[in-house]
Amino acid sequence: MHIPILNIPLLYSGAIAQGAIKDLMVTIISTILSFILGTLGATARLYGPKLVKTVVYWYVEIIRGLPAILQLFIIYYGFTQWGIDFSPLTAALIWLVAYGTGYGVEIFRSGIIDVPQGQWEAASALGLSRTMTMFRIIVPQAYVAMLPPLTSFVVLQLKNTTLLYLVAYSDIMYQARLGTDATEQPGILYLMAALAYLIMSLAIGRLGYRLERRAAAYR
Amino acid sequence: MSNEAVISAQRVTKRFGTQVVFEDVSLDVHKKEVVAIIGPSGAGKSTFIRCVNQLHPFNGGTLEVLGHTLTGGGPPPSREVLQDIRTRVGMVFQTFNLFPHLSVVNNIILAPREVKKIPRPRAVEQAMELLAMVGLEHKAEMFPRRLSGGEQQRVAICRALAMDPEIMLFDEPTSMLDPELVGEVLAAIRRLARQGMTMLLVTHEMQFAKEVADTVVIMADHHIVEQGRAAEVLDAPATERAQVFLRRILKPAEVDEVGEVAPARLRGRL
Repeated sequence: MHIPILNIPLLYSGAIAQGAIKDLMVTIISTILSFILGTLGATARLYGPKLVKTVVYWYVEIIRGLPAILQLFIIYYGFTQWGIDFSPLTAALIWLVAYGTGYGVEIFRSGIIDVPQGQWEAASALGLSRTMTMFRIIVPQAYVAMLPPLTSFVVLQLKNTTLLYLVAYSDIMYQARLGTDATEQPGILYLMAALAYLIMSLAIGRLGYRLERRAAAYR
Repeated sequence: MSNEAVISAQRVTKRFGTQVVFEDVSLDVHKKEVVAIIGPSGAGKSTFIRCVNQLHPFNGGTLEVLGHTLTGGGPPPSREVLQDIRTRVGMVFQTFNLFPHLSVVNNIILAPREVKKIPRPRAVEQAMELLAMVGLEHKAEMFPRRLSGGEQQRVAICRALAMDPEIMLFDEPTSMLDPELVGEVLAAIRRLARQGMTMLLVTHEMQFAKEVADTVVIMADHHIVEQGRAAEVLDAPATERAQVFLRRILKPAEVDEVGEVAPARLRGRL
C-alpha cells in the first residue's frame, strides 16, 4: 500500500494531536505534583530532622543516578513480578512524578538557599514563625529565583514523555510509530511528531518568560 | 528616665567555635533610655545586639530582656519566650532586609496581621500613619527595589514600629547609605527618641550618638572598654583604648599609616 506523502499529514494529524494531548496531560499533572512534592522535599532536605534529610538525599541520588528507561521499566514491568500491575497511564504518571520530584528537590533547594539570610533574620525579628517565614517570605522568592531552571525542567519532562511509548502509553511517539508501521513513511511522520513537540516546548518556554517578566516587577 | 532596666546583660560572652566575638559584656538599658554602642569594626557590637532578640545564641553570662532571663550556653529559650521577646523588641538592620516581593504597605502589615492577628483594614490604616510619619505615604504601593536606600530604611523602621515594640534595636542603620541619605534616616530615629522609645543602637555616627544617646558604650577588641553618659564618654574618654578609637574616628585625615594621630605641633612641620 502506498499513500502519497502529501496525504500523510491529513491522515495522521488527528492521531498525532491526540498523542500530543495525552503527552501534555501527563506533563501538566506530573509537573504540578512534582512542584508540590519538590518544595516539601527541598524544605525537608534543608530543615528537616536528620533521618528525613538522609532519606531525601538518597531519593535524589537514586533518581538522578538511574537511567530514565530503567526507572520506567522497573515501575511498569518490574513490579508485575510481585503482582503489582500498573496500567500504562498509572505507570507513566508514577514515573514522571517520581522523576520530577527528584529533580524538583534540587531545583527548589537551590532556589531556597539563594534567598539571603537577612530575609530569615528580618522575619524572625518580627516574630514570624519558621513555617510562616518559609511559606510567606522564602518560598515566594525562591520560586522567582528558580523560574529559568524550572522552565527548562518542564520542557525536559515533556520530552521524557517520548519514553512512555515503551510502556504502550499512546503518546505522540506511539502514534508516529504506529503510522510508520502502517505506511512505511517514517520521515514525514517523525517530522510531524517533531513539530508537535517543538510547538509544545516553545509554548512552555513562552509561558516561562512571561512568568519571569511578571516576577521582574520587583527584582 | 525611670530606673527599670528592660535589658540587662551580665558578663555576656559569645564565641564562634574557638573565636571570641565578645566577652564579659555587661550593660543595662533602662526604660526610655537611648544607648548607643560604638567602636571599631569586628568588636562584636552587631552580634551583641542580635543576641538581645536571640537572632544569635550566646555562650556565657545572662541576658534579661523584658522580664525573660536568657542564659548563655543553656538550652535555647522556649518558642513562647522567643516569640514574646521578638514581638516586643523591634529591629532595624544595616541592609534594610525588606521583603522584596511585597509592596511597602504589605511589608509593614505582614507581621501585625500574621503574628498579632490584627484585621487588614486596621493594619493598613496603622501602616499608612507610620508611613506618613516618615513622609513616605505616597510610596505605599511600590516594591522596595524602587525606593532609595534611605527610603527603604525608613520603611524598615515603620515595619518594626508596626508591631508596637517596647524596645527598638538598630544595627548600624545608616552605614549602607549614601552620605546624602543618612540625614533622613537619622531624623526618623531622632523623632523616636524624642517620643520616649527605648533604644539600643549600634552606630558609626558619633555626632548623632552624642546628640541622641543618653548612654554611650564603646566596644573594642571584643570587650566594653568604656561606658557612661554620652557627653562624658565622647568628650573626655577615660581609657586609653577609647581615646585612641575616638581620635581615629573624629580625625581620620590626621591618622598616619600605623594608625596613630600625629600630635598637633608635629603636624605643623610635616
